[in-house]
Amino acid sequence: MKENQETKNATLADLPVGASAKIVKILPDMRGKKKFADVGITAGTELVLEAKAPFGGLLRVRVLETSMAFHSEDAKSILIGTK
Amino acid sequence: MKKKFKVALAGNPNCGKTSIFNVLTGTRQHVGNYPGVTVESKSGHFEIGDIEIELIDLPGVYSLSSGSPEEEVVFNELTKEGIDLILNVVDSSIPRRSLYLTTQLAELHIPMLLAFNMSDDARKRGLDFDIPKLEKYFGSPIVKTIGRTGEGVKELVAAIAKTLKALPAHGSPMLTYGTDVDDAIEAVADKIDALKIKRFAHIPSRFFAIKLLENDSSTAKIHDFDPVKGEVAEQIKHLSKSHAIDDAESFMADRRYAMLAGACSDAVKTTHERRREISDKIDAVMTNKFFGLPLFLFIIYAMFFFTFTCADPLMGWIEDGFGWLSDTIRDAWSEDTLPFWRAMVTDGIIGGVGGVIVFLPNILFLFFAIAILEDSGYMARAAFVMDGIMRKFGLQGRSFVPLVLGFGCNVPAIMATRCIESERDRITTIMVLPLMSCGARLPIYALIIPAFFAAKYQAAMMWLIYVIGVVVALFAAKLMRKTLFKGDGEVYLMELPPYRLPTLRSLMLHMWDRGKMYLHKAGTIILATSIILFIANTYPEKTEFSKDYDALVEQVQKDGKANNLSEEKIEESVAELENEKSAEALEYTTSGRIGKFLEPVFKPIGFDWKLTTASIGALAAKEVFVSQLGILYAEGEADEESETLREKLAKNYTPLQGFCMMIFSLMSIPCLATLAVLKREVNSWKLTIAEAIGLFVLAYAATFLVYQIGTILNIGTKLIS
Repeated sequence: MKENQETKNATLADLPVGASAKIVKILPDMRGKKKFADVGITAGTELVLEAKAPFGGLLRVRVLETSMAFHSEDAKSILIGTK
Repeated sequence: MKKKFKVALAGNPNCGKTSIFNVLTGTRQHVGNYPGVTVESKSGHFEIGDIEIELIDLPGVYSLSSGSPEEEVVFNELTKEGIDLILNVVDSSIPRRSLYLTTQLAELHIPMLLAFNMSDDARKRGLDFDIPKLEKYFGSPIVKTIGRTGEGVKELVAAIAKTLKALPAHGSPMLTYGTDVDDAIEAVADKIDALKIKRFAHIPSRFFAIKLLENDSSTAKIHDFDPVKGEVAEQIKHLSKSHAIDDAESFMADRRYAMLAGACSDAVKTTHERRREISDKIDAVMTNKFFGLPLFLFIIYAMFFFTFTCADPLMGWIEDGFGWLSDTIRDAWSEDTLPFWRAMVTDGIIGGVGGVIVFLPNILFLFFAIAILEDSGYMARAAFVMDGIMRKFGLQGRSFVPLVLGFGCNVPAIMATRCIESERDRITTIMVLPLMSCGARLPIYALIIPAFFAAKYQAAMMWLIYVIGVVVALFAAKLMRKTLFKGDGEVYLMELPPYRLPTLRSLMLHMWDRGKMYLHKAGTIILATSIILFIANTYPEKTEFSKDYDALVEQVQKDGKANNLSEEKIEESVAELENEKSAEALEYTTSGRIGKFLEPVFKPIGFDWKLTTASIGALAAKEVFVSQLGILYAEGEADEESETLREKLAKNYTPLQGFCMMIFSLMSIPCLATLAVLKREVNSWKLTIAEAIGLFVLAYAATFLVYQIGTILNIGTKLIS
């Protein structure tokens, strides 16, 4: 039941370019969870989706005042609550 | 006796660590590799008064865990004994992010000094630090610096000296992560203390306790800690049960950031918020959905243009210089004294090594251009823009630039793959790179295409060869990712640092680094192969020829004079005879014999012994193919513009064979230098040998198919005019 609730939640991959959001939860099965956590991508952090790369895939996200690029596949594991 | 200290330089990627390192050590740097991984190791020396400092520039990392080979290197270096001081460079314009690493370094209880770098950016952003408070918090002195301009470095040097002179009195921080977690840390630390592990006696057990609790793989690998693993599991279970932590792997990150948020709200004040507006504006264009790609292609083109146009005159001078050198030696050294050594020095060593050093300007300019792209921050954007396309072939955004550079020369291109952080992606890129048709293969095409193909097909033929290379490379990459380097690959997480104006100093140092590396290679491996090839091309020496060439030359000269022929005509006939003689001599040498011996192997791909010999010679460097053929076809000093050599080729071979020569040259190992640098960069003999064999098999199979199918279908078996 918890799973259902989670899938209903919006993920970072759904966020439109230019919008900001707060991380609510990182899904436990996320790849490289620790690596993301090390750069500040953990629950409670504020994000801004700055851009999407030309041929799909990469997202550019501002987190803790730095721009980080990573894949939208991974962004699907980042649950957000829009402000 | 000077007192010696070892200082480790640590910090995030893009924190300006390298510029601090450069300012402190100047050119007294040593670049190498950490054993077993392809992470670059860098160290340098400098002196402050009566103390001598060895500064180790650790790779830039975000964390002290083990998410990447770099992080593992930093972990291992810092937990080794012998580090007297950690100099932690912090990008003070983004304190929360940069101090994250500091919280982990602090747990090592090695005396630490913080350089609050980019303090100009921090000021512009309106950040105001309560330095004494922060110093107390981290138990380390803090110095504000601007690495790019060198501001604050004097103070930094003074602080280093002061700290090193009073090491025992250095404070150590007591960081707290919340009582629940602190209790768990203490419980595990007590168990570690009981183990009394000698080799980690210099590091507090607390550090390892934290690492074990957050399930760090570097620490988990250390079997000394196996006995406490039960306690660790127990503590994690306890913390999870009480809902104190959400996730065993990332809870420490949460706690560290929470701790920093607290510390920063206390000691860092933001007077006015100003974002990096200019950088954002540039990026709106550079990484734009529509302009991003064309702009990138234009920049790459400009870089190529710059490299090859600017380097051209210099290369000419170097070539002339070596020509002059070998002529001077030849003049000063009479033909009768030690003729073997005379030829070895002038033709073998100066010819061979000179032929490689000629490319030095190319290398220097190329790396100057790359350094501009890297230091300005554009390289990260280029990778961002290209990633989508490259990923379809199992590569990634950062693979693109090295692959394009490969068209110039594979050697610097392979060196340029260092910018690819993922080891697997980097190795895949390196492995397919030799298929990018480099400049040294151009002379072969330039010789063969006009010999066999009518003018209207020539450009298309050239294009076809390059395209074949690219297509095969992309499919090879895809194939490798499906077989050799299977799996999901590493997580892609890359920072796009703000744009910065590169400093000349760092550009020059970068260029110097690579240039030195290249020269080193020219002095070792190229020197050795030049000598081997020279010997193989000379020995055994033929003394008995089928014709008495000397007598024939005399005869021609006499006849010529008698018949009133022009000087030129006589010289031409003499040259022809001399070339015929050298061809006969070459057939007798080791190279010639090997060619003859291997002829049956190469016959199915349309090669006779002469082409076989030339291909073997081309192992050292692809251009050798042309000069070897020139000698074999008795053309003497042949180059790709040689008309007579073309005529002879057209007479002896079919266009199909000509095409086969090009395909084989395209796909086999470009040169030993490439192989040597490949070995250095992949750091594995197994992969290097696999690459050499793989490329040979690929070249052979492709040429075999082309030749056999062409022969059966009767394509290109006759000259079309």
